[in-house]
Amino acid sequence: MGLLRAGLCPGLTEEIVQLLKGRRIKTVADLAAANLEEVAQKCSLSYKALVALRRVLLAQFSAFPLNGADLYEELKTSTAILSTGIGSLDKLLDAGLYTGEVTEIAGGPGSGKTQVCLCVAANVAHSLQQNVLYVDSNGGMTASRLLQLLQARTQDEEKQAGALRRIQVAHAFDIFRMLDMLQDLRGAMAQQATASSGAVKVVIVDSVTAVVAPLLGGQQREGLALMMQLARELKILARDLGVAVVVTNHLTRDRDGRRFKPALGRSWSFVPSTRILLDVLEGAGTLGSSQRTVCLTKSPRQPTGLQEVIDIGTLGTEKQSPELPAEQT
Amino acid sequence: MVIRGPLGLITILTSPVSLFFLSSYTLAGPLKTKPGKPRPFRRARDVTRPGPGGVWATRASRASRSTSPVRRLCAFKMQRKLVCFPLSPAVRVKLVAAGFQTAEDILEVKPSELSKEVGISKEEALETLQIVRRECLADKPRCAGTSVTVKKCTALELLEQEHTQGFIITFCSALDNILGGGIPLMKTTEVCGVPGVGKTQLCMQLAVDVQIPECFGGVAGEAVFIDTEGSFMVDRVATLATACIQHLLLIAGAHTDEAELAQKHQKALEDFTLENILSHIYYFRCHEYTELLAQVYLLPDFLSDHSKVQLVIIDGIASPFRHDFDDLSLRMRLLNGLAQQMISLANNHRLAVILTNQMTTKIDKSQALLVPALGESWGHAATIRLIFHWEQKQRFATLYKSPSQKESTIPFQITPQGFRDAAVTAPSSQAGASLNFRKRSREQEEEC
Repeated sequence: MGLLRAGLCPGLTEEIVQLLKGRRIKTVADLAAANLEEVAQKCSLSYKALVALRRVLLAQFSAFPLNGADLYEELKTSTAILSTGIGSLDKLLDAGLYTGEVTEIAGGPGSGKTQVCLCVAANVAHSLQQNVLYVDSNGGMTASRLLQLLQARTQDEEKQAGALRRIQVAHAFDIFRMLDMLQDLRGAMAQQATASSGAVKVVIVDSVTAVVAPLLGGQQREGLALMMQLARELKILARDLGVAVVVTNHLTRDRDGRRFKPALGRSWSFVPSTRILLDVLEGAGTLGSSQRTVCLTKSPRQPTGLQEVIDIGTLGTEKQSPELPAEQT
Repeated sequence: MVIRGPLGLITILTSPVSLFFLSSYTLAGPLKTKPGKPRPFRRARDVTRPGPGGVWATRASRASRSTSPVRRLCAFKMQRKLVCFPLSPAVRVKLVAAGFQTAEDILEVKPSELSKEVGISKEEALETLQIVRRECLADKPRCAGTSVTVKKCTALELLEQEHTQGFIITFCSALDNILGGGIPLMKTTEVCGVPGVGKTQLCMQLAVDVQIPECFGGVAGEAVFIDTEGSFMVDRVATLATACIQHLLLIAGAHTDEAELAQKHQKALEDFTLENILSHIYYFRCHEYTELLAQVYLLPDFLSDHSKVQLVIIDGIASPFRHDFDDLSLRMRLLNGLAQQMISLANNHRLAVILTNQMTTKIDKSQALLVPALGESWGHAATIRLIFHWEQKQRFATLYKSPSQKESTIPFQITPQGFRDAAVTAPSSQAGASLNFRKRSREQEEEC
């Protein structure tokens, strides 16, 4: 609730603001909590005017409750499920990425998080013909790899170019830029909300740990606040604008140093509603194997612990054109 | 519920989307209208009257019924909390204590009033307003792009950019192949290896190779070499440079029949002399981590003065951080911050960044493995990771992590002329492979 300023609502003039300030009532919250009889007496203002003022301000600032049936109807009509393009991953995610939710992909270095993100972007842009925003914070976005993934899906160059045009790439290497950009996106989408085409359906943030890790640890506490602000932005984007948000996270060691867990701590673990863990296939043999295991560690719909195997060398091309080469060296 | 919309038409607010404007400051989700609920009705003249700060301070900027799209966007932007801005914590705490929560609250106040109300100095108040305003102004559509704005581009434009960008060749064709053409620009590459395997040799070779003229397939740039271990030897660089010039002369000699090409080659070779090569490598020596952090912090200014720099090498990012560093979480913070600064430099100034790292032993399930130093989270810092290792007197390079290339291993060697492809395995070439510059050859080493 903001500061009280003249003109915030009709009836709130500058002199009233000054009188209230004299009684230490500076914000709307202060006014809502104040004892209005006392204030009316001490400030020689009309009690009725103050009550009306408070009612108007509360109406302007308070949240409205929504009943469950309406919410359910609305969710049924507005939620979409976007396929990731990788069959086994879709199985794990219960048919794909849900709009209105944040999905997290965690994995060690070289485990394939960026590859999965690129595959999702290519699939959504090409097969589902929706716009994608790819926020890159560690330099992993390589357009030539995107082109390779698209070429495995279609040989038509026009379609490839069209799909590439639907993917917007933004580079944000520190948290303030990323927050700026997400807020920009919110503003832009809220404006064009009536035009459903041209709206971004998937936002991929690769990776969120890269911008948050320089703030955590040490003696300062600012990092946690900024991380939660970023979490809030992502959730508002997902929930209010009907966007599927995908984030990638790193792995760190457990306190006893034995197992790996997703980075950013427990506070962040409540932000995504679905979490998957990528790992190198154990016993896959030598280096150069492109097999990875995907494990579901948190999900609102499926039992956790489900595991699948994906091949990041031939992402999204398993059933389409097996004779195409995976990648050239 | 009926309101007067932007076009003067009466619109009935029933769609969840338009209600989003109203609910944007109620923090509720999209909701249905409640008939009969009183809402503050803003008159037209309140909307258009500008406040003291110009259009930003319009009193009714919160209303969804603002008249122009820009103002509506501004209205939307105004809900930004103060925590989203890079203000100093002390100032922010005082602002919050005085009741300022969002950007809008601050923008309507003059610096002198702000300093009085909040209890900060006039300079701090002015700086705060500048930060908040600049951030807001930068998002305004008609403002020219400043360095604060985040540039967005489509993947198609990025692809065109990548096609026109060159690579920095390493003179080892196998390594160039697995990297997709050479060291890519606009990305950070990390080279890890045990001592003596050739990391500094590669760095010195790249400092020379980045200067190869464009007509020979190079990027014609300059190099910044930040040395923390003191392993940079100028005479070795001179040898490498001379060998490179010889190589280019050979190439030029092979193309003397094509007149235009030969002319270009001649012209380029005139500038590509030993003195020029050495004078275009900017060398910095840092002894401690504080010096390294300061140097990296000052690099953007240096790079704006020397715009031809296309390569930044930090030889030895591990050594300043491994010795007497008690606070591991602080170390992780600093390293992550450094990694982000490097990728941001690489992106903004279109250069390649090379970092070299050491190896350490990790005991995992009762076996000892050789892994790159600086911990697990450092593994995510660089975009591309190369690990050099020994295998029975032969040096190998493994591409461990790359966004576009497959993992693979190739052999290479270090000759007196520099970093080169491995000689074809034959008994006579064993002598060539063991001609390690300055270091003794090794016996069996553990594979990482």
